[in-house]
Amino acid sequence: MGHTLAWLLWTLGAAVPALLIRNPLYLAIIGLAAAVVYAAAGQGSDQAQSWRALLKIGALMWFVAIPLNALMVHQGRYVLFRLPLDWPLVGGAITLEAMAYGFVAGLAIWVLLLIFATFNVCVDASELLRLAPPFLYQAGVVTSIALTFMPQMLSSAREIREAQRIRGHRFRGWRSLLPLFVPLVTTGLEHAIQLAESMEARGFGGELTGMSPRQGNRLRLAMIVALAMALAGLFLQTYYRQRPELGLAMLATAGLALIACFAALGRHVRRSRFRRTDRSAADLVVAGSGLIVALGVVAVRAMDRMALIYYPYPPYSPFPAFDPLVGALLMLLAVPGVVWMLREAGRPVSPSASADSAADAAEHAP
Amino acid sequence: MIALERLTYSYPGAPRPVLRDLSLRIAEGEMVLVVGASGAGKSTLLRCLNGLVPHFYGGAIAGSLRVAGRDPIAAQPRGMSAVVGFVFQDPETQFVVDTVESELVFAMENHNLPPAAMRERLERVLDRLAIRHLRQRRISTLSGGEKQRVAIASVLTLEPRVLVLDEPTSQLDPEAADDVLSTLQRLNRELALTVIVSEHRIERVAPYVHRVVYLPGEGQPLLDGAPRDVLAQVPFAPPLVALGRALGWEPLPLTVEEAAPYARALREALSGSGGPSPQPSPQSTGDRVQREGAAVVPSEARDLDALSEAPGESGRPSPHPSPRVQGGGAERPVVPSVGRRHGVAQDLDAHADESADGPVEILVDDLWHAYNGRPALRGVSLAVRRGEAVAIMGRNGSGKTTLLKHLVGLLTPARGSVRVAGMDTRRATVEDLIRVVGYVPQNPNALLFADTVREELAFTRRSHGLDASGADGLLDTLGIAAHAEDYPRDLSVGERQRVALAAILAAEPEIILLDEPTRGIDALQKGALLRYLAEERARGRTLLLSTHDVELAAEAADRVIILEEGRVAADGPAREVLGRSPVFAPQIARLFGEPDAQASPAPMTVDDVLRSLP
Repeated sequence: MGHTLAWLLWTLGAAVPALLIRNPLYLAIIGLAAAVVYAAAGQGSDQAQSWRALLKIGALMWFVAIPLNALMVHQGRYVLFRLPLDWPLVGGAITLEAMAYGFVAGLAIWVLLLIFATFNVCVDASELLRLAPPFLYQAGVVTSIALTFMPQMLSSAREIREAQRIRGHRFRGWRSLLPLFVPLVTTGLEHAIQLAESMEARGFGGELTGMSPRQGNRLRLAMIVALAMALAGLFLQTYYRQRPELGLAMLATAGLALIACFAALGRHVRRSRFRRTDRSAADLVVAGSGLIVALGVVAVRAMDRMALIYYPYPPYSPFPAFDPLVGALLMLLAVPGVVWMLREAGRPVSPSASADSAADAAEHAP
Repeated sequence: MIALERLTYSYPGAPRPVLRDLSLRIAEGEMVLVVGASGAGKSTLLRCLNGLVPHFYGGAIAGSLRVAGRDPIAAQPRGMSAVVGFVFQDPETQFVVDTVESELVFAMENHNLPPAAMRERLERVLDRLAIRHLRQRRISTLSGGEKQRVAIASVLTLEPRVLVLDEPTSQLDPEAADDVLSTLQRLNRELALTVIVSEHRIERVAPYVHRVVYLPGEGQPLLDGAPRDVLAQVPFAPPLVALGRALGWEPLPLTVEEAAPYARALREALSGSGGPSPQPSPQSTGDRVQREGAAVVPSEARDLDALSEAPGESGRPSPHPSPRVQGGGAERPVVPSVGRRHGVAQDLDAHADESADGPVEILVDDLWHAYNGRPALRGVSLAVRRGEAVAIMGRNGSGKTTLLKHLVGLLTPARGSVRVAGMDTRRATVEDLIRVVGYVPQNPNALLFADTVREELAFTRRSHGLDASGADGLLDTLGIAAHAEDYPRDLSVGERQRVALAAILAAEPEIILLDEPTRGIDALQKGALLRYLAEERARGRTLLLSTHDVELAAEAADRVIILEEGRVAADGPAREVLGRSPVFAPQIARLFGEPDAQASPAPMTVDDVLRSLP
């Protein structure tokens, strides 16, 4: 458990490359690094168990994606075998390229899932809510509902599955998902409403003080203007390609204006913190590794657009390129996990247990 | 402190107002209980006090409302949060952050208190609610009673002048509920805090409050006054009040202590020939009064340890050597051998009702179970015969639900064995088991998904390979025939509970397992449930229910098993087990039970007493 902001930065550092990169070797490194952190932090976490189930489902979908893509897409030079052409949809060449593409697409999603799971295991999601700037009152409520939704869904999903099972419910096709799905969604919504009520009854969002109605109206007007400008900028940027800098400039101005509005509003909201979470050296490592990786990856991409690209189909090659420097950069993501394990190893409890499970988790990532 | 003037409110889209022309005044420092059938508007009324109604729900409101000098409609819930603390029914869903300390400071942070002031108030609240030891704990690890105390503490940090609680004890066992209520009483006395509580289990709360407000619902004017005056007129009263009303006791007793003189007089009148015979009032037996709930009377301070002793150990040889495990001493439980277990089963005959002479349907032998290494059941052994009605009682977390899940095969034994209708649950599939066992889980929401109530029943029947339309009679018996075409989730909690019951029982199981069937339902609905259970028993069905509701157990069960930390602490006829338990004794048993319990079994219910009268 560490500082929430630090882990937020780490997650950013891991998620940005995972979203930008399709190269399976790099993705594998990111996944491996996240797995090390997950294994180190997941020890004794209540959340780890429910996430483990989700990760298993993700892995299953990943492995289904590989043959599915190979059966559907018949492009490529490296033909493994051929199915009769008169078989609808699946008939034709089964290629290495299509297999590789399915593999990479599934891997990317699974790595993202793992990163998200790691973040959830490392921080208390509800702490995130306290980081929300006070003027974002409604947004704060919505976010907290969204955050509590997932763990609650997982636990009520189990309850519902049991309840339907003892009614003799069996899986017989898509329609039989209904008895599981409907109670899940409605129960989740009911919980969310109760939580929102409880937050509101305890004064969540702080109080707006010392703002005259006129000031308030002026701010609202300014925000509307800024939002309209942002919309116009986006429109110019998309459809009026001759002068891209015009659209960009409008977007930037609108963004600055909005930030100014929020800051002005924020000055009028009073909200205090009982305890500022202490920032330790470990948090610096966590935040630093994330930031360096995110900036590094963006820089690599800016310098050479092709450096991170991977596309198995012709004219490109299904065999990924590998730059050791990029690999080393991505490996930085594992640093918080390694630091964690070293710290644990310093304690009297046997460190082998956590190392073993790290190796276990690492095996899942290719 | 609180003044309502001709308050009228309707929910958006509702044809009729739920509150109509309500006028009510509550003075500073009063402790008030709000009662009424479900759907009568209790929660709505409470939510008006801090502006959640209408701000959170929308709808139309008329009339005037002032709470601690503020207008909740103008101030909004956020503005009211400093003067009105609101505690919700479900201890699970009202927490925002995950450790106790963060939860307690959450409201203070919202109100921009300086850290020094927060620290000071935090310390004070921790002491006041005796939760200092919980300070660093995660909320998910707390028990139900602890959670509810933390919930109260989390609103008290703002030092509100009014504390509003919406059914705060409905999910707690009698002991935890008593704990929460005495905390409230202390706060009310020491801080002159105005406390407003709504509750279905009136006998739990009535002894603590100054006033009772009864909402009849459907726009009828409310009844408001001293507890005994109001309870004398409401259609459902706690057992003591019901008995007092039936026998014309004046003034009406609210606690066992108050009722004791009447009971003594009654006993003397019955035993002595010359004494004045008690006058059953004209309304007595004909007018069946509804009653409910667990009676925990604070003045009854008995030795808690007595609970771990089995009934019948106090002098009289027990007619029923139950297959129980001695708490504490022995590390390994006594594992009954097969031969001995048959002995147990035969012994069951000695005390069981005439209905319970059938074959053994459920046989649990040295059952152990743990969740993630945390033991939930530690060597439970019991046998239930066909036609028995057994109540499983115990504190929150004592293993009741775990035991029921084993009986339907949702869990399988880690050690020991469970046999249901001749099937070993480890070998039989859930599909096989549910042909004979119907298990109604605690939360009806987990079951209901169909568009209509009728469709819910049809789904279960189809799943069991039965004719889909054969269960209409069930809707009548459970009193939900009028809702057959309604969307189940729009119904009230009690109705949903009964739809869930119908959805399970539509498969016509021989063994019925009910998990907390009276959670959140009012006395009238409980009456309907009791009548239904009696009918099912008359058909020879076997019934097991886990409940905190002592009065339900007293009325519906002939045998009671008390679980304590995963062990059977007591097992025997309901009269004996309940009569002797310091925690689970019903009000009537407390009143008549003690002095000559040796001579004849104590009465459990109002009907028991009335039947024994000449």
